[in-house]
Amino acid sequence: MAVTAYSGAEQYNFDIVKKFAVMSLVWAVVGMSVGVYIAAELAWPFLNFDSPYFSFGRFRPVHTSAVIFGFGGSALFATSYYVVQRTCQARLFSDGMASFTFWGWQTIIVLAALSYVMGYSQGREYAEMEWPIDLLIEVVWVAYLILYVGTIMRRKQPHIYVANWFYLSFILATALLHTFNNLAVPVDLFSMKSYSLFSGTQDAMVQWWYGHNAVGFFLTAAFLGMMYYFVPKQAGRPIYSYRLSVVHFWALSFMYMWVGAHHLHWTALPDWTSSLAAAFSILLLMPSWGGMINGIMTLSGAWDKLRTDPVMRFMIVALSFYGMSTFEGPMMSLKEVNALSHYTDWTVGHVHSGALGWVAMISFGSLYHMMPRLWDTTLYSRKLIEWHFWLATIGIVLYIVAMWISGITQGLMWRAFDEFGNLQYSFVESVAAMMPFYAMRAIGGMFFLTGTVLMAINIFMTIRQGKRESAAPDAGLAVRMAQA
Amino acid sequence: MSEQKPQTVPTTGHVWDGDLQEYNNPLPVWWVYTFYATVIFALVYWTIYPSWPFGKGWIGGVSKISYVNSEGEAKTHSWNTRALLLADMNKAAIAQKPYFDKVEAMSYEEIAKDPEMSGFVISAGKTLFADNCAPCHQAGGQGMIGFFPDLTDDDWLYGGSYEKIHETLMGGRRGYMPAFSEVLVGTEIDQLANFVASLSGIGHDTAKAAAGKVLFHGDAAGCHACHGSDARGRQDMGTPNLTDNIWLWANVPAADTDEGKVAAIRGVIASGLNRGVMPAWSGRLLPEQIKVLTVYVHELGGGQ
Repeated sequence: MAVTAYSGAEQYNFDIVKKFAVMSLVWAVVGMSVGVYIAAELAWPFLNFDSPYFSFGRFRPVHTSAVIFGFGGSALFATSYYVVQRTCQARLFSDGMASFTFWGWQTIIVLAALSYVMGYSQGREYAEMEWPIDLLIEVVWVAYLILYVGTIMRRKQPHIYVANWFYLSFILATALLHTFNNLAVPVDLFSMKSYSLFSGTQDAMVQWWYGHNAVGFFLTAAFLGMMYYFVPKQAGRPIYSYRLSVVHFWALSFMYMWVGAHHLHWTALPDWTSSLAAAFSILLLMPSWGGMINGIMTLSGAWDKLRTDPVMRFMIVALSFYGMSTFEGPMMSLKEVNALSHYTDWTVGHVHSGALGWVAMISFGSLYHMMPRLWDTTLYSRKLIEWHFWLATIGIVLYIVAMWISGITQGLMWRAFDEFGNLQYSFVESVAAMMPFYAMRAIGGMFFLTGTVLMAINIFMTIRQGKRESAAPDAGLAVRMAQA
Repeated sequence: MSEQKPQTVPTTGHVWDGDLQEYNNPLPVWWVYTFYATVIFALVYWTIYPSWPFGKGWIGGVSKISYVNSEGEAKTHSWNTRALLLADMNKAAIAQKPYFDKVEAMSYEEIAKDPEMSGFVISAGKTLFADNCAPCHQAGGQGMIGFFPDLTDDDWLYGGSYEKIHETLMGGRRGYMPAFSEVLVGTEIDQLANFVASLSGIGHDTAKAAAGKVLFHGDAAGCHACHGSDARGRQDMGTPNLTDNIWLWANVPAADTDEGKVAAIRGVIASGLNRGVMPAWSGRLLPEQIKVLTVYVHELGGGQ
């Protein structure tokens, strides 16, 4: 049954994978730079320069869209096209459609960023794009779905590998979420402004059904798909348990859809809706951990790789942060914990322990594995990977510790009463108390960004090296023989 | 596959992409039991709090919220966010009630003299002031030249007595001065500015100031009508005293030279003012909160 591993550059469409992989690094640097800038604005407000174009309100969605959809999205397109082709032993179903998804997706990110800076926003978190951009996303996403399913249908293997289940659930769920959350009526045909079809608390409910499942399917299921291919590949070992992957896949897919309302505790949303969601969040804990167990236990018996292989280290640390934030999330979704954490920086810290710790780290690991293979060479510098690893890890720890302290401080200050029954602190006092932690967060972000820039340099040199080698076939052959 | 230790568990037999395989290990026992534990947790949670929709309503939780409201009535509700908020707020309201009752009953002077009541005023006034007044008057009440008056000095536009401060808080204020560039020429405005500077002992051109004095008292400019013939302002109109070297609109202290100080005064005379607006707080804050703020502002340092 087994076929010999080979680069597959002739059989598969790797051109599209290369394009998306490079753009994912470009957006990582852009999105994280904007992130560091707005973090600095919160600590040092003069950076707003009294200009609406530089303000936090407009830059914040630029940051989130560039990192989630630009960096994360491009990394998912790249790895999903790579994985589906290799595990199905089939070339992408259509090169033209693949190219359309690439140019379409990049246009979407650029248009979204420009429209935010110009002041156009739906005001829906992670779905700020106005209706013309939403329509373009719809078209690109349907093309992606057709392309993915079409390629799976052409597979030469009877069984569909687990990574593809996760990628496919992500594509399907995102289509569903995007469509319903963006049902809106434009003010007129030539206006960028639109109004949601839903109103009041229903509107909030739809938005957070979208918001949390964007976390669940875009930022979790899809990256688990990435994990299920790249972790066993990098470890050179089989996945720990097929049975666990089946059970946790279906449990995760079923549970996630219920939990969005835990974002709306202590609001106008009916109490039963949010307590139903809170309990489902607790039920989601073990299904989430199934992926972590499967990833970490795959390495069982080859633990020494943690010491010797820096790429593997990215993946295992990613899984550890994944485990930590999928534990923290259900805890924060309980009403009494949420009473302290809601509207505070704790939420921001939680999101970033997932986004930096899990999403970004697993993407870095996967890209470090995939990109040299795409250009048929080896990584340019191992030392730079080591530096990247430590800068990123220290950056995350600084970031989330700062947000834990500031978030809990905010929560406690807002609810403190003095002996007369008066509020002990005014709001502005809690803002002033955040200053050192905002500075610490910005510094953590700078660490993380510096690591990403080192990676971009390393990959750029790797690609150059790959191109040189393929230009001199003899030299390339020698490298490959040395590898073997 | 290198470094593979002997495994007793078989793989599923599928191979993808050359070497990608899966063991078929059973589900970890601790994982399964922890999942069962979360199921039990969920069931308990759903029993305590309102949870599943049922018919046209929902199943209420067994948990109850009881509290005594500020009127002293005992209330019990099945668990809901609103009742919990009321319970929390009532705890604070009950603690505050005796003090607010006293605030209502006592005169301003009595409140200020009573050590316990001034403690209450400082505690309640601090957050009331910071959340409502500080955005304009600044955290310590020091104001901002060019925008908002200083509340810590003894210079009062509309009066610094308890009653006047209360009147200002309740009804708000609207300061206005016409733009004199519409009725006077540049040299005249310059003469007036030199005269106003002379009143506060700022270096000026004596000849111009003398001409300015004539304009000030004359009918063409008519400054004296609002600012008074002694230029000490009129609190019934809210016009500032021009002789005390305290500046609200013209940023005189920021200028390094006498020419700069005179120029700042000239600017205000030429363009006038229409942004001296303070909103009315009656209807936004409770009467007893406004009374607390009245005493708090009076005690900031400048009360008369």
